Amino acid sequence: MTDFEQLIGALVGAEVEFLVVGGLAATVHGSARLTQDVDVVYARSEANIARLVAALRPHKPYLRGAPAGLPFEWSTATVQRGLNFTLTTRVGDIDVLGEIVGGGPYEALAKHTIEVDLFGHACRCLDLPTLIATKRAAGRPRDLEAVAELEALQEESV
Amino acid sequence: MTSDRAESDPVIEAFKKDIDRTLLRENLRRSVAERLANLVALQELAEEARRAGKRVVREP
Repeated sequence: MTDFEQLIGALVGAEVEFLVVGGLAATVHGSARLTQDVDVVYARSEANIARLVAALRPHKPYLRGAPAGLPFEWSTATVQRGLNFTLTTRVGDIDVLGEIVGGGPYEALAKHTIEVDLFGHACRCLDLPTLIATKRAAGRPRDLEAVAELEALQEESV
Repeated sequence: MTSDRAESDPVIEAFKKDIDRTLLRENLRRSVAERLANLVALQELAEEARRAGKRVVREP
């Protein structure tokens, strides 16, 4: 089970530049769907990658779904070499994304965010129209129902 | 990337017919903190259901 509060608290506590996307962002906008992980887009600067690594290190990140025992090391070098990481930790699952389809990197997405209070922390969260646009762009069949719900939320909010 | 409202997609429109809008309206009346609390409660319920399912499988 994912401890949303711990994961968000860890990122905010380490002053990581990130924004919330995915199912947790959908919940912020009123979605009734259950999400099981935290999805964030992080800034790719060297300093921010160091903060991201430090924030999650105590929670022992490992590649989600990968066999145990791989020589995976959660380090700045690993994050610099890669981009998007689907992780499991001691406090639950988190996807840390350098960019997302249809939205790009942190800097492009940051212009399309709202500030919200998440578990007592001020965080940036993707706005509803952009969340819909990125989910549509991803084009995954499993997202179709989520997009329909988000569009319904947008209609109900008018 | 655009964040303007997209054109309607017939597949998405078909999915929309099954959306429970009363639930969404209820959620929209809630604060973000209340929505997050609901998510956590729902997650705990799902976890408990999973545990119960495992117990049933182990103890036929």
